[in-house]
Amino acid sequence: MTLTRTTRRTFLTSTAAMAAAGLFPGGVGMLRAQEGRVLNLRLEGDNSILDPGYMVGGTEVEAQKQCLPFLAEYVRDGDTFSWQPTAYVTRLEYVDDTHIEFELAEGLVWSGGHGTLKASDVAYSYKRMKDSEWSGYFDALETVEVTGERTGTLVLNKPFAPFIMVTLCHGPGAIVCEAATEAAGGRFTTEFPAICGPYTYSATPGQRAVFERNPEWTGPAPGFDRVVCHVITEVQAAELAYEAGEIDCTELGPDSLARYSKQMPENTTITTAGQLQYMWMGMNTQHPKLQDIKVRQAIQHAVDVDSILAGAFAGTSTKSHGIVCPGLLGARSQTSYSYDPAKARALLDEAGVSGLELTLRTLNWQERLLTAQIIQANLAAVGITVNILPMESGPFWEMGMEEAGDTWQDLELWIMRYATVPDPYESTQWFVSEQVGIWNWERWTDPEFDRLYDEGLSETDEAKREEIYLRMQQIMEDTGAYVWINHEPEVYAHKTDIEVVAAPSGELNYHRFKPL
Amino acid sequence: MSVPPSDPVPAEALELRESASRERREKLSSFLSDWQAVAGLVLVVAFFASAIFAPWLAPYDPNAMDIPARMSGPSWDHIAGTDQLGRDTFSRILHGGRVALYIAAIGVSASLVVGLVLGMIAGYGPRWLDNLLLLLFDAVRSFPAVILALATVALTGPSLTVVLAIVIITTIPSYARVARTATMALRHTEFILAERSLGASTPRILFHHVMPNVIGPLLILAAMEVPVVVSIEAGLSFLGIGVLPPQASWGTILNEGYLVIRDTPWMVIAGGIPLILTTLGFTFLGEALRDLFDPRMGRGR
Repeated sequence: MTLTRTTRRTFLTSTAAMAAAGLFPGGVGMLRAQEGRVLNLRLEGDNSILDPGYMVGGTEVEAQKQCLPFLAEYVRDGDTFSWQPTAYVTRLEYVDDTHIEFELAEGLVWSGGHGTLKASDVAYSYKRMKDSEWSGYFDALETVEVTGERTGTLVLNKPFAPFIMVTLCHGPGAIVCEAATEAAGGRFTTEFPAICGPYTYSATPGQRAVFERNPEWTGPAPGFDRVVCHVITEVQAAELAYEAGEIDCTELGPDSLARYSKQMPENTTITTAGQLQYMWMGMNTQHPKLQDIKVRQAIQHAVDVDSILAGAFAGTSTKSHGIVCPGLLGARSQTSYSYDPAKARALLDEAGVSGLELTLRTLNWQERLLTAQIIQANLAAVGITVNILPMESGPFWEMGMEEAGDTWQDLELWIMRYATVPDPYESTQWFVSEQVGIWNWERWTDPEFDRLYDEGLSETDEAKREEIYLRMQQIMEDTGAYVWINHEPEVYAHKTDIEVVAAPSGELNYHRFKPL
Repeated sequence: MSVPPSDPVPAEALELRESASRERREKLSSFLSDWQAVAGLVLVVAFFASAIFAPWLAPYDPNAMDIPARMSGPSWDHIAGTDQLGRDTFSRILHGGRVALYIAAIGVSASLVVGLVLGMIAGYGPRWLDNLLLLLFDAVRSFPAVILALATVALTGPSLTVVLAIVIITTIPSYARVARTATMALRHTEFILAERSLGASTPRILFHHVMPNVIGPLLILAAMEVPVVVSIEAGLSFLGIGVLPPQASWGTILNEGYLVIRDTPWMVIAGGIPLILTTLGFTFLGEALRDLFDPRMGRGR
């Protein structure tokens, strides 16, 4: 019998070998994570609030799509997205500009003995959404009329063609079980009170979320029996895990995307979900240092966005000209300002400003910090000193909210990115007057902008809608409070033998993944 | 008028002087014959020199960007390559050494002084004060530096000042415990008792008689603590809770390099080497000094 003894030397040798294996992609061959019908994926962080009314968004939407009913889902149509009815409905259609009729499929049951999926669950879910933190998605919904046990009509208060794409396909469109939700006290957090979907859900905080086939599900079978989502916070760590064969699919950061584009790893392909994200540098128009529009315009002219795209994003993202993403109605192709340091200096002189010192707040993520440093160097070149303040996501996302403290009063500059859906209405909603102190951290108001927002909701003529959203972005830009940066694509690297399905804003829909 | 002849130096004094001189020569010889000691001294001198003269030694402004040249490997233009913004990595490493030196010099000095004073008070003062200070030292030591830093940064935001404060707070107990033990050993010695019987005040006894006998081991400990302090700074900066951008530190260079290690490994290599060499240098030097001045603690020879 041979005894295996672990000595300090063997331990160090083994550790070094394992580290080397991790460092050299392909050096030991890419192992295969996808065995049998198990799919291993990455989860950015723990899902803290699964309730569609009070979620943060992102991966929580991914969980909802596996366990809760939706009336519609995104479907890729070439380079764009459209929608289709889900397996939960046998009919979903506009009968006129303001009425959408639906019929739920038969025999779909809630877990926990809560009975079948009913039209009353749809009415309950959307009524509570109108009073939730995500109520903006339901501005156009007047009511849900229940016409039968499985049939009903969504009644809009104005014609709003994108309602299905914007609301029903996205996370807020999730339907919850009325009986189970009420039994849980009307709200829920880390557990679904009842599920009705292809997968069940369980999670171990800090480690993984596991989706297993739901034995009560009578709809189309998902492609994989089990989906294990490992909590991997850093995208670079997820890329290493993918290359080591630990996971089957991962989001790619800009530098890795550039590297993969040059030399694709073996048995790997790339799926681009969409580029429905818009990043900008915001300025607080009410801050004493930035109240003068000439100072803000000077900053607009001082920032070299092309350098940011090359330096911080490895040239993998599209230059932004506004909040409407490329490919959508109202997307702009140019801005009314350009990189012109001389003009920036002239504007500062006109404003009589010298020795200006500002604080730029940003999430402490790599691309954001690189972006901030380029902006810092750009503004230093015109005489503005910028101090970068990297922040954790918790305090960052609260800093402009009046109800979260007084930080909003100190806000000067910040780098922000929002995700959106395939309609321009969604991205404009955060900048109306009512959003000042909530999500409009630039703190400007404009009656014309508010009026155009309402008109954009009800306008059905595409050409007129396009004009509306172009004008709204021009109003935003004219405040001088925005330096548009980019639209980052959501790109996934995955094994060639699986088909990845993602929403245009990047959320993965595991039950629609297929083994090829 | 004739000048009176000076008193002749007694033979015993001459012998003592000679003996001391011989001992110094032996120690120097012993030090120079120890390759680790010499290597440590060379590395430490190189560390100080490169940090102090970084503005003159660095070929580029450490924050000057050259985005078209981003993430390039070593070349004649950039001997350690460039980072994601095309900044010269070698220049950033030299300037990062200044941060390490600043933290090491201020942090170690401050914690040595505070630790010395608190340790002497604990060792010489009443029992209840000794117990109280020991409790304080143990409480601080039981708190991991990184956790303390994370909690502090959550309240104040990241900065070099926070790093310095964390370094000082977490290393004070090491000095204080050594100073306390040495003071306790001295407090009942004859010369201290004699001072007390002559009416010398406690501060006078502590600072004129105890401190000179306690400071030696603390200085050796300080040399050994420098790499610890440099590592703490690098670790906190690696985690993004140290220096603020665009200032270079070895920790931030390592962090940025780690994120792109599969695209270019040079940043990690270039950022890691000075950290390793500095740690080795101070460790070798500290051990050699300890062997020299306190052979009971040293390696068997």
